[in-house]
Amino acid sequence: MKHLNEEELVEYYYSPDTEACAAEHLASCAECAEAFAALRSDLDEIPVVEPPARNASYGDAVWQSLKDSLPVYENSRWSWLCPNLSLGLWKGLSYAAACGLLIACAFVAGRQWERSLTPTASVRPPQQAQPVPAHPQQRVVVVVLSDHLERSERLLVQLKHADADSEEMISPLRDEARTLLAANRICRQDANKVDDPALAPALKRLDHVLAVLANHPGDLSAAQITRLQDELNASGLLFEVRVLRTRIPEHRTVARTVGGTI
Amino acid sequence: MFRMGKDDQVAIREILSGDKEAYSALVVRHSPSLFRVAFRITGNEADAEDVVQEALLRGYQKLESFESRSNFGTWIYRIAVRCALDKISNRKEDKVSRAAEETDPEQDEVQIAAQSAGPDRLLLSGEIAALEQLALRGLTPTERTAFVLRHLEDRSSEEIAAALGIAPNAAKQAVFRAVHKLRLRLAPLRVRI
Repeated sequence: MKHLNEEELVEYYYSPDTEACAAEHLASCAECAEAFAALRSDLDEIPVVEPPARNASYGDAVWQSLKDSLPVYENSRWSWLCPNLSLGLWKGLSYAAACGLLIACAFVAGRQWERSLTPTASVRPPQQAQPVPAHPQQRVVVVVLSDHLERSERLLVQLKHADADSEEMISPLRDEARTLLAANRICRQDANKVDDPALAPALKRLDHVLAVLANHPGDLSAAQITRLQDELNASGLLFEVRVLRTRIPEHRTVARTVGGTI
Repeated sequence: MFRMGKDDQVAIREILSGDKEAYSALVVRHSPSLFRVAFRITGNEADAEDVVQEALLRGYQKLESFESRSNFGTWIYRIAVRCALDKISNRKEDKVSRAAEETDPEQDEVQIAAQSAGPDRLLLSGEIAALEQLALRGLTPTERTAFVLRHLEDRSSEEIAAALGIAPNAAKQAVFRAVHKLRLRLAPLRVRI
């Protein structure tokens, strides 16, 4: 059994309610109980020192001796705002306001920094996402040159072998020629720009054939079809288009802005 | 434990607003309790009155740092304890009690019992209490203050620690050392039957 030391006995003497373990031990240990009884006797015999009595006017006397040495507190400039707040509370509010200001500055600085990094990625309201342009947006036509040459070759082949007397055969060729005519002009402009010596003349002759086929007023006569076939054979245009088609990269494109808006 | 009445808060606000006369209410209300603890620590009436005045003066000067959530009574009590501790710490440590015809703690005089005097005479002469006061003076200022607060003022270790500005465990140790020394010094006076 571990006995209580003097320190524990002193603690129990002054705080019996908080020393439950010591109480249990003292109940079962005669030696410690005797030591505690001696301690209690010694401490109980120390008299409670009662101070000399002060009369009722003692507080007033103290005040009279003090009042002349006390300075007057200056009225706080802001106390009229809320007189119930003490200086400590004002200090706390000041710290809170300073922290809030610091957080707000950090937030604004962060927003500015983010905008400077990604100026176009900023979120905008829907009505600002697509601002009205200064000029109407124009259509852009993209022509794949290889495709155009392939379709042109096919048309020329059909024209070469077409029956001049058959209106059923000529009519689809005219429609196709009208479609190809616009694309061919775009390709011609591009060829002239890049100064392609083989492509530009070929597209020019093709343009003539397509124009006659597409724009002739009324139906083409058999004689006119025959004359076109003769020109085609004489110029070697079909052969030339075939050669160009093999030479042109498959996905070479020509883009042109055309009139009208979308 | 002191309770801070609404009057204390009102008085403090008025003082900080420039009305120093409002402090008189606090002085009148708390002076008696401050004198009691000051006297118990210093063991001297004049010193206790000095401590009361000094504590109330310090309290007034530091009133701006007083937080309204706290209890003014507890706050000024702690200041008084510190002042009393300073007072007994600054006393001359080389005071020697002089032998005299009568025991007088105020004059550090003690009557020495004759060798032939028995315990009965000592008990009946009423000198033991005075000798106990002298034994109390033999403690260090911190031990004495801690013992007074624990034994006479019935303060907890936490309250003593707060008043002395030390850790609660250090306050317990100070009380224990004081009790141990007092028991050793007063043992010859005890007569156990």
